[in-house]
Amino acid sequence: MPQKNHYAFVIDVSRCIDCRACLVACSVENKFPMNHTRIWVHDQGVQGEWPALSRIFIPYNCMHCDTPPCTEVCVSGATYKDKVSGLVLVDQQACIGCGFCVEACPYGVRYIDEKRGVVDKCNACVQRLEVGLPPACVATCLGKARMFGDLNDPNSEVSIALKNAKSVVRLDYEVGRTDTDPNIYYLNLAEMGGVKSSDSFGQVKQAALPREPHYTISEEGWKKVLVPLIAAGMGGAFLVQATFFTKQLIEGEKEFDE
Amino acid sequence: MSDYKNIPLPERRRLRQKMIKKHNLANILTHWFNVASWLLLLPTGIAIISSPRLGITPLWWQETFRNLFGSAANLITFHYTIGFIWIFILLFNVLVGFRRYFVPFAVHRMLLDKDDIQWLMTKPLQMLGFMKGKELPPQDVYNAGQKVYSYFVVLGTLGIMISGPVMVFKNLFPPVVKQIAQPVHFLSVFMIVAWLFIHVYMGAVFPEEKEAFFSMFSGKVSAWYARAHHEKWYWEKIKEEMEWEDEVESQVRESIEGKRASDLPQSTE
Repeated sequence: MPQKNHYAFVIDVSRCIDCRACLVACSVENKFPMNHTRIWVHDQGVQGEWPALSRIFIPYNCMHCDTPPCTEVCVSGATYKDKVSGLVLVDQQACIGCGFCVEACPYGVRYIDEKRGVVDKCNACVQRLEVGLPPACVATCLGKARMFGDLNDPNSEVSIALKNAKSVVRLDYEVGRTDTDPNIYYLNLAEMGGVKSSDSFGQVKQAALPREPHYTISEEGWKKVLVPLIAAGMGGAFLVQATFFTKQLIEGEKEFDE
Repeated sequence: MSDYKNIPLPERRRLRQKMIKKHNLANILTHWFNVASWLLLLPTGIAIISSPRLGITPLWWQETFRNLFGSAANLITFHYTIGFIWIFILLFNVLVGFRRYFVPFAVHRMLLDKDDIQWLMTKPLQMLGFMKGKELPPQDVYNAGQKVYSYFVVLGTLGIMISGPVMVFKNLFPPVVKQIAQPVHFLSVFMIVAWLFIHVYMGAVFPEEKEAFFSMFSGKVSAWYARAHHEKWYWEKIKEEMEWEDEVESQVRESIEGKRASDLPQSTE
């Protein structure tokens, strides 16, 4: 890993009971508007045929991807992948809330805070990490479904949990040149919900996520029309002045001698 | 068609000594204020654009300016603070001089006439090496190329002045407007910058236009330069001068006739 820390969430799906205490804890800790949430629990619904019924709840938050599509589109670099912690963060002073990143995120973890006109998302409670506390959702989780820690440290809670896991599923979006490599590791998803192999997201994908990254018309038009147009225009203008300047240097200045 | 090339040498020397006022102080100060603002705004603005998908700004440039100002947020704050000063002073100057300078400028100096169209059809071909023998039609105080550039500048300036504040007052506008504002800001800036290469070269380096550069400090050009490059305007000036002379002459005449009708001087300078 290039960065010093490799923070990751490990979520044991079999332990989640959909109590949503994590949502409350997150809201209290980060004080975002009531009509939004940074994290949520996805309910797959009842599955299977009686008597072999199952129901899984999948807790979600930002996946803090290794190669996030959201930071790719941010014009000012207001959202970035932190070089030390590896977390995907938003500098809300620099953010203008245009929403390019909201469209690009395949997991839909970003939202626009209309009141402040900025984009907001899970920051893994960096303010708590700095003083050595786990994120609010992890600290409050009753069944210890949510775990958080540094994968670079072999003795951390998450490393041990991953080592002992029966199955691990990542909701990786890997199409074409986009490969998100998310950092939420779901344990026991295969056992609970019939996801067969550890590499495919099977039913989970069908149910909700991840989706294809969207690029807005403004962003696409900028990239595909304006940049080539401007490059051609500036190149042309530069060539013209360069030609005349070279000519001037070779021929010398004529106008001023009588 | 201009015949300045046939003017005999002594006359040329005389014309070169004589200075004609081209720019007033307000224009000169506004121009250099604009230059200073652009020198601050353009590098910081380019440094802000750091999207890897657009791939416009090299990484060292982004990093240098972010390190210089401490963070992306500080860099943006600096950029729009200077931007607001620029908007305020430019609008202030336009509004203060609206009737005296701006309207006459827009009406008499910016509109293209028949000669300008002719110029626009000939000059680009000449630059490519065709029609070398053809004379260019006489030009006004700004030639047709400058007039066309002025349209781009006015449009671009309006685009910058509208799209910039949209991105600063981010809580007042819906996301779609802010999404459009960004490419509009980019396009407005760079369609000016593309022409700027030629503007700066023509103004500061190109030998034939050297006087244009110094006129942006002194406000004056020599009559020779005006005669050669802005013939229409030159004759306009001469006409004004002669009308003024006639007026002064008649005034002097009247005052003298009033005093002593008998003793008239032969001529007045």
